[in-house]
Amino acid sequence: MMRIVLGSEPRLLNILRAVVKFHAQEAGISKTDAEHVALAVDEAAANVIRHTYCGRHDRLIALEVRRLPDRLEFLLEDWGPKVREELIRPRPLEELRPGGLGTFFIYSLMDECSYDPDFEEGNRLKLVKFLSRKGACANDGSSAKSG
Amino acid sequence: MMVQVRNLDKISILDCSGDVDLYSSPRLREALLAEIKADGPGVLVNMSGVAYIDSSGIATLVEGLQLSRQTKTHFGLYGLRPNARSVLELARLHKVFTIFENEAEALEKIGSIQPFGGVK
Repeated sequence: MMRIVLGSEPRLLNILRAVVKFHAQEAGISKTDAEHVALAVDEAAANVIRHTYCGRHDRLIALEVRRLPDRLEFLLEDWGPKVREELIRPRPLEELRPGGLGTFFIYSLMDECSYDPDFEEGNRLKLVKFLSRKGACANDGSSAKSG
Repeated sequence: MMVQVRNLDKISILDCSGDVDLYSSPRLREALLAEIKADGPGVLVNMSGVAYIDSSGIATLVEGLQLSRQTKTHFGLYGLRPNARSVLELARLHKVFTIFENEAEALEKIGSIQPFGGVK
């Protein structure tokens, strides 16, 4: 397990991506899939900066990486207002417009995405990648951040 | 990320390198939209130096595509690395953009780009 805490500055997202990619590859995930996992976590963090923190760069984001026998878990924490999960939906890809792809990437690239209802202050988003299978987000699509 | 603009045969070429993400995509957006608005016949984005692109980078390219349709400017991408190509494919945008393998092909065929993507 490892945990890092970063400021909510977009220029620091490359650190987050490097950490995620490193752990994914260490866990045996292929380079391409590790890059996709890094993209999903990056998108979730970017959504925290853009939406939860409304672009403020003086807040904090924490990432915890847990390696379990069958999966990698990425816990992304913020200390912003509670996210309303019912409002989060990936947009239809048929619409050609800028924006809104971040949530789609998160759903598509991770096996599970869910918010911790017991996280009292702020939000804790859990993103899971199983080590033995590929697949879309295993839940019903009711959680993950907008973007 | 760095963006450098050059002109070749009246075509604007944006040479991009590094990561295109939430931090850097505003720089690409500024340069790209300025070139499309500049009233030239075509704009190409050289992606051969782009190691990573996220949804904000993709959104910037979509915005450029939409503006190019309004201004009737030929617009294309070339030199995509596997990582960037896979992100475009994931978003099902690889058939929306006109994508060339390299600069020579892009310069040869850019005049044939249809208004809504694809090559004649």
